[in-house]
Amino acid sequence: MNNSISFIDALKKGAVRYNPVLVQLVGLCPVIAASTTFIQAVILSAAMCAELLVISVIANVLMKNLPRWIRMPLYLLVGLAIVCPVLYWFEAYSLSGISLGMKIYLPLTAINSVVAVHCEQVAVKSDLKLTVYDAAASGIGGTAIFLLTGAVREILGYSTFAGVRLNLPVTLKGMTLPFGCLIFLGFLAAGLKKILPSAENVQTEIPSDKIKEEPQAETADIVPEEEHKADGTADVFGIDENELEDFLKTVGIDLNSEEGSAQ
Amino acid sequence: MANGAEKLNKSSTRSIYGDYLLMLTVPCFTAYWYYGVRSLLVVAASVASAVITDMLAGIVINKKINTGDPGSIFTGAAIAMMMPSGIPYYVPVFASVFAVAVVKVPFGGSLKAPFVPAAAGFAFASVCFSDKVFDYTAGLRGSLFGATSLGSMLMSGRAVYIGESSVYDIVGGNVAGPMGTGCALLMVACAFYLLIRRPKALVSSVSFIAVCVLMVALFPRVTASFRTNLVSELCSGSLLFAAVFFVTDPVTQPEKIINKIIYGAVCGAICMAMRLLGAYEEPVCFAVLLANAFRPILDSAINNIPQFGKKASRKEVRAE
Repeated sequence: MNNSISFIDALKKGAVRYNPVLVQLVGLCPVIAASTTFIQAVILSAAMCAELLVISVIANVLMKNLPRWIRMPLYLLVGLAIVCPVLYWFEAYSLSGISLGMKIYLPLTAINSVVAVHCEQVAVKSDLKLTVYDAAASGIGGTAIFLLTGAVREILGYSTFAGVRLNLPVTLKGMTLPFGCLIFLGFLAAGLKKILPSAENVQTEIPSDKIKEEPQAETADIVPEEEHKADGTADVFGIDENELEDFLKTVGIDLNSEEGSAQ
Repeated sequence: MANGAEKLNKSSTRSIYGDYLLMLTVPCFTAYWYYGVRSLLVVAASVASAVITDMLAGIVINKKINTGDPGSIFTGAAIAMMMPSGIPYYVPVFASVFAVAVVKVPFGGSLKAPFVPAAAGFAFASVCFSDKVFDYTAGLRGSLFGATSLGSMLMSGRAVYIGESSVYDIVGGNVAGPMGTGCALLMVACAFYLLIRRPKALVSSVSFIAVCVLMVALFPRVTASFRTNLVSELCSGSLLFAAVFFVTDPVTQPEKIINKIIYGAVCGAICMAMRLLGAYEEPVCFAVLLANAFRPILDSAINNIPQFGKKASRKEVRAE
């Protein structure tokens, strides 16, 4: 991904190769629990797209120099600021077509892992253009899967599409349950893997000239294999190994002593 | 790959599923005896859909087309046996397609599936078509309690008086229920055949039945004698069928004897707990699937106990 990256390239990468639901496996909870009908999938995907785009831009513009432990709650706060008005609108108008499950899961999009992953991986490390492209591409990729899942589950499970009765001879109630969605997503992921070229042939990393330095004390949320330290250890979840040892010593576990390891 | 299947190869698979298919002819005969030709048509539809799905899946994943895999035939026939005879044909067809396309093929075939495909297929049908899968009103005439199955009577807590003649009817399968699993006597005969052919496989079944009996004694569902409760529970639904055909499945069953015993016991405990508390009349397939899912954890937990672990690890313990 270079400076002259086109939106089509970003779309291919963010929506297909690194599809947030099928490849990155983030945001599964809302799609499994709440996308039982097409309308619910539309609402859910709209909320996710809006939130992803807005938070990514805010993270890119305002949060680059903040430590990670401050950034994460800020994502939550901004997400809630976006979702809360929608929730109040739902409550005020008591939309009869929106199920209780949808009302429960919509606030959870505020702390969506899709948002956290893309803000931490791209937004705080890249320029604004790349951030917007990535957020839009991931939103489109996620939306496509949300809508497809919602449509298929509604058609097979309720014999309706967007509330319109289709009168299919057989309905599979299992498709409206989480296991039906998981199986469907599993087949979709397998199909996507089948049609995509092998990952080795595609450039996957953001070039170093596009990545800006983070504050020294902070580490990335997700540690790729190639970012392991020279001594073979890795900073898991942003915790340094020495810090971890110190913490364990405070709770009475000494990893270096034989007694401690035996325990 | 499931541990139990590591030593299996294609020829032994044919031999194993050959045994199971031979045993399945017995419940097929029962179904034909009580329910007539329609039961055989249901079996044919179920088996055909399983075999065709297997072949189509082979085409889709660019593998050798598997014609007449005994594992698929067994899956289709076993699903049909647990259905009522009056079931619409599409129900066993969907169940077989699900079992083969979702549980068998994606994991690499009969030898690698971590769950019993037939149990998964029936569980899927139970969830999707519960009103049809447990509807025994069609088919059986002159049965002991009419169209009321033992399972539904136990679920509703209705006490049943079982006299001497009633016991013969019940263990002979002359009650409303799944078309091929009702005759307890023939299930015992199948178990004896398995005892001769593969005695170790029955260890899980014995512990499964033992725990079921224990649970009946501790938590009877109807206010009647222990004998009445025991006969009703064991002969209702597909409990004995699952004990003989699913719990003994060589692919999903653990290898070590102690693991087999605990696996069967866990399966029986889950089954009876679900019968007591669950919403479905016959939850034995869900219990088998849950036991399948817990089996790797059970295996590792038991192997971590020094007495039951590997010899090498015991030596290591002594050396330390």
